[in-house]
Amino acid sequence: MSRHRVAGVDEIKAGERKLVKVNGMEFGIFNVGGQYHAYRNVCPHAGADVCVGTICGTLLPTPVYEYSYGRENEILRCPWHGWEFDLKTGEHLVDPDMRLRSGKLESISDSSENLERGELETDEDGIFLIL
Amino acid sequence: MTQQQQSTNDLDRPKLIDTDVHNTFASPAELLPYLPKVWHEQWLNSELIGNPWYSSLGSVNRRDAVTPSGGQPGSDPKYMIEHHLDAFDIDYAILTGHIVINCSLHVDPDYGSAIASAYNDYMVDQWLKVDPRFKGSLVINFSDPEAAVKEIQRLGGHPNIVQVIMCSGARIPFGQRHYHRIYEAAEQMNLPVAIHPGSEGKGLAYPPTPSGYPTRYMEWHNILPINYMAHINSLVCEGVFEKFPKLKFVAIEGGIAWLPHLMWRMDKNYKALRDSTPWLKRLPSEYILEHIRLTTQPIEEPANHKQLVEIFNMIDAGKTVMFASDYPHWDFDNPKLALAKIPKEMRVRIQSENAIELYGLQQKAKHEGGGLE
Repeated sequence: MSRHRVAGVDEIKAGERKLVKVNGMEFGIFNVGGQYHAYRNVCPHAGADVCVGTICGTLLPTPVYEYSYGRENEILRCPWHGWEFDLKTGEHLVDPDMRLRSGKLESISDSSENLERGELETDEDGIFLIL
Repeated sequence: MTQQQQSTNDLDRPKLIDTDVHNTFASPAELLPYLPKVWHEQWLNSELIGNPWYSSLGSVNRRDAVTPSGGQPGSDPKYMIEHHLDAFDIDYAILTGHIVINCSLHVDPDYGSAIASAYNDYMVDQWLKVDPRFKGSLVINFSDPEAAVKEIQRLGGHPNIVQVIMCSGARIPFGQRHYHRIYEAAEQMNLPVAIHPGSEGKGLAYPPTPSGYPTRYMEWHNILPINYMAHINSLVCEGVFEKFPKLKFVAIEGGIAWLPHLMWRMDKNYKALRDSTPWLKRLPSEYILEHIRLTTQPIEEPANHKQLVEIFNMIDAGKTVMFASDYPHWDFDNPKLALAKIPKEMRVRIQSENAIELYGLQQKAKHEGGGLE
């Protein structure tokens, strides 16, 4: 495993992303409400650059003819077919078995320690992608 | 033929032809040099036909296909070459235009025909001259068959125009005599007639289903094939392919998996009710397999891909189906992935051979290569 510095600590604001290239692979680094997540920039459906998609909310599951908007900035919408992915888990909202591929992240901040299922290390230099 | 000649010919033969690629205007003003002055204000200040359905994606276009200058996806021919043709090794792109094909559903047939002619001249000038890999579809206004015939005769002989195209939204099913002059003109010029969806329920067209209007874009999009079934049923039963035996009809972007059902239902009914269509000399499905061509995108994606292969076998897809990506629209199919599960022999036919035969594109275009400098 190797560590690659991909962003400064305050570089990516909440609700925003940064695209990075590490070892020839593109990743999107997303700040979702202060928590960071990294995903491969390849949609598991049809291969689009999924990480350039819209970061948005969505219509929550509701009873018939009721509408409720929520999850603002927690959803990534693929730029081709509009598939919605949960940025917190990488799961497609319709078929959770269809997942964005993760990269493990580490960051210096204690408050964002549970970034990803992967192990974390802290470092004063910024956010690191572990490959 | 020597072995060397054989292999050279093989290298020259197109390997991938994309039969549904959408070119559009960077700005509506691009049409003005080709449009009589009398229509300028109307063109600039009105929508051709309205659209009641909102897509939650916000746009019909891929968000990653915006041109380098920030323009509409599909509005820059050089960028289209770089972003799509070169990126996927596409030997030919059949340009299918955009909303202008809906001119047949405008309330004013004269305006509809003027837009069709202006667009066709624009397409020849601004797209077909840019790169020989672009092949054009001639837009006609079917609401005025006489004008449509004139347009086919005026420009249908252009060497880089390979088919006639019209919107699939309609008020009269496409087999009926209203359209026969159009088919006669197309057949005389050896041009297939293609239809493209998107206008169902818009402009002068009837609701997208016989029961009325779907409420959602998704619901509308799901059921578009019902209209294609109606048109193909009509084309066969009205005897269009007996009357115009060389005519080929291309059903673009209307889906595929529904076709076996239609063929079997038509054949079964024909066995009992043949005397109501005495001009049909063969089973309805035989006319379909010989005269109808379908395009793949948006390809059906069953959880078990073998089921789609089974359906492709049922409709002899190795002869009837052509690859399409629908670039730069949101439901684009990736040329490298869409057909990956189709057996190789059939895949080759779908990727290029069926389009080579239909459009007469036996050799790759000689081009400079590259898009934007």
